[in-house]
Amino acid sequence: MKEKVSKRLNRILLLVPYLSSPDGAPTGALCKKFGITREELMEDMHILFICGVPEYTPYDLIGFDVENDRIRVYQADYFSRPLRMTREEAMVLLVSGRALIRAGIFEENSSLATALDKVESTLTALERKETKDMAERIQVELELYSGKWSKVIEKGINNGRNLVIDYYSYSSGEMSEREIEPVSLVFSRGHWYLLAWCHKAGDMRYFRMDRIGSVKISRNRSTKRQELESQFPQTVGEYRAGRKSHRVKLIFERNAGRRMVEECPTAIWAEKDSSTIEVELQTRNLFWLSNYIIKFGNEIGIESPPELKELVRERSKQILEIYRV
Amino acid sequence: MDRIRRLINLTAYLLDSNKPVELEELRDTVYKEHVKSEKSFKRMFERDKEELRENGIEVELVKDVWGDEAGYTISKEKYNLPEIEFEPAETVSLMMVSRLFLGSGTPFSVPAHTALLKLGFDRKIDFENIPHFRWVDPPRLSTILEPILDGLQRKKLLRFSYRALDSSEPLEREVEPYGLFSHRGFWYLVGRCHLRGEVRSFKLDRIISDVEVNRLSPKKPDFEIPSDFDIEREAKWEWPLPVGEEDIVARVYFSPQISSFHSSGPIVPVSSKLLKRGGIEAVYEVADPEHFVEWVLEFGPEAKILSPPELVNMLTERVRSFLKSIG
Repeated sequence: MKEKVSKRLNRILLLVPYLSSPDGAPTGALCKKFGITREELMEDMHILFICGVPEYTPYDLIGFDVENDRIRVYQADYFSRPLRMTREEAMVLLVSGRALIRAGIFEENSSLATALDKVESTLTALERKETKDMAERIQVELELYSGKWSKVIEKGINNGRNLVIDYYSYSSGEMSEREIEPVSLVFSRGHWYLLAWCHKAGDMRYFRMDRIGSVKISRNRSTKRQELESQFPQTVGEYRAGRKSHRVKLIFERNAGRRMVEECPTAIWAEKDSSTIEVELQTRNLFWLSNYIIKFGNEIGIESPPELKELVRERSKQILEIYRV
Repeated sequence: MDRIRRLINLTAYLLDSNKPVELEELRDTVYKEHVKSEKSFKRMFERDKEELRENGIEVELVKDVWGDEAGYTISKEKYNLPEIEFEPAETVSLMMVSRLFLGSGTPFSVPAHTALLKLGFDRKIDFENIPHFRWVDPPRLSTILEPILDGLQRKKLLRFSYRALDSSEPLEREVEPYGLFSHRGFWYLVGRCHLRGEVRSFKLDRIISDVEVNRLSPKKPDFEIPSDFDIEREAKWEWPLPVGEEDIVARVYFSPQISSFHSSGPIVPVSSKLLKRGGIEAVYEVADPEHFVEWVLEFGPEAKILSPPELVNMLTERVRSFLKSIG
């Protein structure tokens, strides 16, 4: 409950300065910027509606008007600048900054270090101590981001150009060329992904950075980026269920099953008996799964579907084949 | 809603007034409709001051020239975001940093967002055209991480039910939270476990209950963190070395199809050579054979361990037992 009050207070005190300019601010763009819905914005305005200073006459209360889909706030000069950085905000910047330096995205003595010092200098001595103490006890590890394609990909994103990539697809087990509109670089569960609109699939896709074989800048400009920004899918990779997904049921020896569940966030699991676990998941294709589960050796059994059984049997035989002398 | 309005009114009044505001004055204005007695007013005012302090707003008691308490104020200099002069490169890097956790599903996500909005206030910056790196986590983590961060911050005991990898039953744990780290994409809490009587790491994915923060005496820390505690050291654990303890030198062949991936695995190759037909042969120093064999297996028949025979055996054994197991 307490959390809610303070987050909301922080947001409202930040909204007012953005709305206090003589022309106010366009509602749609503001909602997007703050990541809130129109209803939430109106609720915040409703809270402000009867706030102000004594004597609380109409001339003392914060006023606002909505016109042509713009909101303007007035009689709130005391809130015309945002509240300075809070401890929590500074802490998140420090923790993230350190993680990005360790991952090789920024250099140790880059502009980031001096910028963070400037942010820190706005805190009081006590806050600085508390922030540092907290940030020092949190360590966020990002996988090293230094693939040979990172520069080309960033260039594509910065200049709004499409990319043509060679990608090793788990779904088909082969490399294929595709044109994509790059949106964002995403770190999830230990790997870097390039989030992009794939023209071949006609859908948003995550491409694992370490499975990209080559990258070229395309002649075509990205057209959808702004629109795609807002549809940020929260589940990464092959686990995302879709219309064509298969239902898979696997039986595991206890520890192996837990490992599978940890690595595959959408899997549902249940204890079967004291030593085995049943794992259920949905996946759009079985090929990646067939490559993935062979390593579990004799600690796994396949309940369904029969196609998966057939597929892994064949894969296993192919592997053994290349080791035959 | 009343509470938020009251906090906004209190802030507005103290920020707007040119002179310190006396306690009685506050009681008769901001608190007029909220309190029935003098005692409840003072309690409420104390709580509100604390709440504002948590949000970075300092309500100060000012004394007059004779040393008497004159009243309360919020200094504009301390409240307002200072106009910091950033170099363009500094601005870009700060934007990138504050976007890392945006929409991440962790409790870092909201402060990351408000920090970004504050930094952007004085600058006309096209946010969209700054390259961004983002962190995405499953939503459940957020609900576990939030109380953990709270406990870390206020040094309060945490209670939760934890299923260790080596035990069949989950056990109730009481932990003094010292630190938090992520490793290979997973989050771990480090702290003194009362059940085991020593400092342990807890993988957040194995916490199977809600995390409860000790509610008793909220303003007093429950413990002190040992002065030699070092999160970097705690986070640096490695997979236990297998018998032998010497690195094994392994040679692996990658087919032309996937040859570019020879350098994308868990370890960096010591050397590699391009073969005539387009494949690559790479040499690795392997510390953890199991992990290495599993990585090679993910490429199916497109990658082949050439030597040593121990690793080849380990791999083929794994595939054979798999075949047998699935029937």
